[in-house]
Amino acid sequence: MELFHNIRTVARYEARILRRSWFFRLFSLGAIFIFTIMNIGVFSPAGEEDWQVVAFPASIPHINLYLLNIGQAIVVIFLASDFLKRDKKVDTNEVLYTRSMSNFEYLMGKTTGVLRLFLGLDIIILLIGLLMNIISKTMTIDLASYFWFLLIIVIPTIIFSLGLSFMLMSLLRNQAITFLILLGIAALNMFWLNFRFGYIFDYMAFGLPVFKSGMIGFDNLSLILNQRLTWFFLGLSLILATILLFKRLPQSRVHTTVSAVFMLVFLALTAFCAWNTWSVYSTDQNDKKTVTETNRLFENSSFVSLSKAGIDFEHLGDSFSASADLHFTNNNDKPLDTYLFSLNPGLRVDGVNRSGKELNYKMTGHIIAVDPAEPLAPGEKDSISISWSGKIDETFCFPDNNDNVNTAPYRVAMLNVNKRQAFLTPDYVLLTPESHWYPVPGLNYYPSNPARLKVDFTEFILKVKTREDLMPIAQGNMKKEGYNNVITSDSPLTGLSLAIGNYRSDTLTVDSVTYITYYYPGHDYYKKDLAELKDTISFLVSGIMRDIETSYSAKYPFSTLKLVEVPVQFHSFPRMSTQTMAELQPSMVLLPEKLSMIDNAGFRRRFTRQKNRNTRNNQVITDKELQVRLFNDFARNAFISGENTRYVNGERLSEPVRYRLGPNFYFFRNNFRSAEYPVINAVFESHLQKQVSETDQFSSMSGELQENDRANLVLRNTSFRDVLAMNPKGDTIRTVLTLKGDYLFNLFRAKAGIDEFNDWFTAYLDSHRYRSIEVTDLNADMKEKFGFEFYPYLHDWFNSKGQPGFIFSGIQAREIIISNRVRFLVTFTTSNPEPVTGIFNVTFRTAAEGGRQMTGYYEGSGRGGSYNIMMQGQGPGSDISKIVVLGPAEAKKISIILDTEPREMIANSLFAKNIPGTLVLPIDNIVKSRNHTAYNEGEELLPSIPPLESPGEIVVDNEDPGFSTDNSTVMSPLKRILGVKKRQSDTYQPVNMFWAPQYWQAGVMSSYYGKYIRSSVFTRGSRGEKLVTWVTPLPKADYYDIYCYIGKSADRMVVRSGGGPPPPPGETPQGDNQFKDLHYLIYHDEGTEDISIDFGNAEPGWNLLGRYYISSDSARVEMTNQSAGRVVIGDAVKWVRAN
Amino acid sequence: MKIEIRNLNMIYSNGNHALKDIDLEIGTGMFGLLGPNGAGKSSLMRILVTLMKPTSGVVLADGRDIQTIRKEYRRLLGYLPQDFRFFTSLKTWEFLDYSGSLAGLRNRKLRIAEVDRLLDQVGLLEVRDRQANRLSGGMKRRLGIAQALIGKPGIIVVDEPTTGLDPDERIRFRNILSELSQNDVTIILSTHIVGDISSTCQTMTLLNRGEVVFSGSPENLVRKAEGHVFRLTLSQQEYDMAKEKYNVISTIPVDGGWEVQIVSDDPPPFSHTAIIPNIEHSYVYYMEHKLKAELT
Repeated sequence: MELFHNIRTVARYEARILRRSWFFRLFSLGAIFIFTIMNIGVFSPAGEEDWQVVAFPASIPHINLYLLNIGQAIVVIFLASDFLKRDKKVDTNEVLYTRSMSNFEYLMGKTTGVLRLFLGLDIIILLIGLLMNIISKTMTIDLASYFWFLLIIVIPTIIFSLGLSFMLMSLLRNQAITFLILLGIAALNMFWLNFRFGYIFDYMAFGLPVFKSGMIGFDNLSLILNQRLTWFFLGLSLILATILLFKRLPQSRVHTTVSAVFMLVFLALTAFCAWNTWSVYSTDQNDKKTVTETNRLFENSSFVSLSKAGIDFEHLGDSFSASADLHFTNNNDKPLDTYLFSLNPGLRVDGVNRSGKELNYKMTGHIIAVDPAEPLAPGEKDSISISWSGKIDETFCFPDNNDNVNTAPYRVAMLNVNKRQAFLTPDYVLLTPESHWYPVPGLNYYPSNPARLKVDFTEFILKVKTREDLMPIAQGNMKKEGYNNVITSDSPLTGLSLAIGNYRSDTLTVDSVTYITYYYPGHDYYKKDLAELKDTISFLVSGIMRDIETSYSAKYPFSTLKLVEVPVQFHSFPRMSTQTMAELQPSMVLLPEKLSMIDNAGFRRRFTRQKNRNTRNNQVITDKELQVRLFNDFARNAFISGENTRYVNGERLSEPVRYRLGPNFYFFRNNFRSAEYPVINAVFESHLQKQVSETDQFSSMSGELQENDRANLVLRNTSFRDVLAMNPKGDTIRTVLTLKGDYLFNLFRAKAGIDEFNDWFTAYLDSHRYRSIEVTDLNADMKEKFGFEFYPYLHDWFNSKGQPGFIFSGIQAREIIISNRVRFLVTFTTSNPEPVTGIFNVTFRTAAEGGRQMTGYYEGSGRGGSYNIMMQGQGPGSDISKIVVLGPAEAKKISIILDTEPREMIANSLFAKNIPGTLVLPIDNIVKSRNHTAYNEGEELLPSIPPLESPGEIVVDNEDPGFSTDNSTVMSPLKRILGVKKRQSDTYQPVNMFWAPQYWQAGVMSSYYGKYIRSSVFTRGSRGEKLVTWVTPLPKADYYDIYCYIGKSADRMVVRSGGGPPPPPGETPQGDNQFKDLHYLIYHDEGTEDISIDFGNAEPGWNLLGRYYISSDSARVEMTNQSAGRVVIGDAVKWVRAN
Repeated sequence: MKIEIRNLNMIYSNGNHALKDIDLEIGTGMFGLLGPNGAGKSSLMRILVTLMKPTSGVVLADGRDIQTIRKEYRRLLGYLPQDFRFFTSLKTWEFLDYSGSLAGLRNRKLRIAEVDRLLDQVGLLEVRDRQANRLSGGMKRRLGIAQALIGKPGIIVVDEPTTGLDPDERIRFRNILSELSQNDVTIILSTHIVGDISSTCQTMTLLNRGEVVFSGSPENLVRKAEGHVFRLTLSQQEYDMAKEKYNVISTIPVDGGWEVQIVSDDPPPFSHTAIIPNIEHSYVYYMEHKLKAELT
């Protein structure tokens, strides 16, 4: 056919012309080179084989095309506009224009030519990836995904880029302007639009989650197809519009008409697909609002407490039908004349009855209001049956959270993953309590009080009817009864989850707990990777569980622990009402497919690496020992104390790994409720489930703000109540809840005694498990046990805006003899000048052999490098030695006797103005008296607060008004318009060893000077163009000794850049000290004097700069950024009158 | 094929009236379109090859308006524009192959054979694999005519084909066109080089300022100048006077003076010899003398 012949001819030769252009050659050769290296580096056995990536067979085509598409989208713009530039010069092409072909044929040929060329390049890159896929011992091959990603990522992007380029070139007829506009659109897409407005403007599929799971494939194919077709059709419309606008006399009326008609058809299809895409987003927004507003109507209503539920569930493809016998009690003070239940709005209630007799009910949104005919008196029980059916509406879940990839990114490597809260398909089902897939007597979110959560402990019996080839999984014991699978929970649960899929399972019973793993075929890779552990796995699991039980001081409360593999798209949002994520269910952990999102899960790769490292270091370790180590690392990281760190807008945020088993020891077992303080359970939970990770310990030493510091900054001028009312982000609420919990429990321990309270409370939780306890009952029980009522404290704890502040001084240690044993007496003075009662606790680091050295990669503010930190003589931190309560404007002398020699005292000021809240106070000299005088531990109330400064001393700290920097605070109007963030951080940042800012940045560390905030300012060392100034009025003209404060930790911690291998024992790590000379300019009566201080040789603390006569009213010291070191740091300056 | 041009007008958007009521009939064989720069030749060519639509009037091919039968008409067309350039990254044979394929030669084998035949005909077979940007100016023109000939077109339109060619190339080019004109093909040759017309065309049209000022055979045009072309031998002083009064066609320095040729309605008042005019003389006589005289 002539049409196709002409299109093919134009395509063939236009592709040939483009292929021979230097620009395309350069791009394609560069792409082939870069992608070959990347594929080898990321996917091949010789490369990184990052488990998060290689766990997914589709990740090879996805990552390759995702990255290539970005480059292609830009190159297409250039080539396409260059392409039409030739057509603008008619002479060049008029020999072709006089040929018998229609404009349609010509432009379609051109389009096909470019498309063919880029698809050819894509296929080459994919073949490179496929080769790696074949070579890889870890990855399986998903050939279909190679085709899918080409279709959904690349083709719509190229077609739209071509269409827009053609169209703009036809209209503007200027390549430079066209190129600039198109480049601007591409940049806008990549940097701003991609995730906004429901991805509708993301023509490059840059932010759109198109991730393909190895379990369920694409989870949002409808959205993906609609979004991609929007741009595909729009691209085609633009190409057809270009045909109509083309500056050549048309030759076929049919083709012109067809072009016009199809342009309109494609425009209509564009609108249709765009509407579908948009409606997913807008419906989601609206539905969340509807859920919230419906909840608002019922948030003050009373609900029954569900004690038992027998649910019959029938899986019907992408829907289900169910019925339930619900047994409940009225635990409220008043009779209930309506039974309220919440059911997912995608489900429809088919009927409600009691003992076969129908009951009236009314639906208001997702709320079922059942008329029981007669009110249920307080303490009375009742039961009803409800039947319902339909699909799950996921927008119901987490109505206060939006799926925003910018503020809440969820990514596998750089790839965005859709966040799903439920799955209901013919082949796979996952329903967790968050989706309210069965009637729940309570709300999923209380709009006026998001910290509130109603928890019932319910016994469930679940009967599941599904396809024969699918396995249902829920908490409890499962047996088959005819077509039904009957699952009976062996303990009351806070909620029931159901997964149905093509699962396989393995069972292990250790110490009366049955561990069952459920996985998809082929996803049990760990069995092969950890094959040596076959006979020891029981011991390992037992050991890990013992460790967890010890750290929570409680036995694991369930008889089973089910580890269920779920699609990677399953993801929950943080809630204010609980810190327990939906990935963790009672006696069940929903693990991401192939453990992909968990660190240390790539056992094979880690094994090989470790083995090679051992061989290099001549270390002998058996395969089994190594596998034991890998398994323990993984299990501890995943289930005990792992943390995930991410950077959002340059800020480092750490959150506990979602699969920590902590909630099984509190949240799924106990509950405390309070109408006055609904947040109390979340506070208890945050404190009781807290685990300190290695990352916390390191980041506190690097000067990074700790979570309690962040929380204290949030609470500096705001009450806890007000913070909750602001509905802050998940990270903020978690840190605030933990801080308030720590404060409260330290108060309990301070009043009751540390060990006494711990033992009593552990037993209390155990004896009150699976019950919701009123906090006033706990208060009464504590009063009875310890004679102390905490409830009255809660008012200030919740509502007060003030913060205490602690000042520590006079820390001394003395070696003493008690009962012929050498002991150590530590004394110090502490005061709280603020009008609010405060609590702090004290722990000690004691002398231990050797030290610790950590090497690794430091990252902060987007820049990083290797670090080397060496800590000498630091043993592991001990338990809390003392908790001190300081009333308003109180000062105390504290004495503590220790069994071992202390090196550092660590005071945790909890809820206070102190930043950092964890103060590391060095104990440099131990006085060896060795006399046998009687010494007493304890607290001595001092008559007044000791002054911070000695008489005759004037100190100006960098937090004081007398201190100033030359940082510009005015932003350029352009930056303001573009919304460019001020680079100078408003909060405190750690000193980055590899990149110091060009402005003066404040940072905090224990070793810095400060009343409450121990901070300094630092900047990049240079030639002296930056300046800080300390000024203060002086009471009298005289000679003054002028000191500067050098904040360093008495040579105990040396931070050097450069990293490299650890040095031999006894030698310091290699690298360059980042701090060198500091230049102070002293203003005095005879002029100015430049004094240089060598940071390395300076004493920690005050260093004398010299004695000067100063008669002017105002004394002045300046410091510039002139230094040979990488970083210059300024803290405090002190003037001491000489006479 | 018979081309009829009826009342053709072309007025550009800037008001330039490039063609004014053109009426022409062009039959098979070589047809020459002669005229000075700006006469409207290229506008007429572009209309004839359907790159442009006239403001009014029609061009009929065998009685059918070419604007309504563009598809069939373009199928018959071979065109060599004045400023013939092509894609530098294509090889000589590839460019011909591209043109051939669009000219309807679908069978690849036959098309390649035709490409090689034409390359041989225009003397480019030796450089068939050479990239276009490495061809000489003459080679490029020959490639241009080859691409216009591919697919055996019924109408060949060539615009200023010999510009920039050396005499050998020009003769070779004229011969190619002359040979083609024997094959029942309409060849429209637009040029401002009068020699191209005289040596190849049976009929011709002279365009000036958008109007047809002469239409007929080159011989008729020559005949119009008979008795109006003179050879003079002049002193320097006479030569200066003659330059002022007459159109001097050629000037050759001789001992003590100049031998010049002029066109004039009347014999000049110097010693002169009437000579037999050629088409160049006729063109000058017609364009520079007769039309000026008519205007005044």
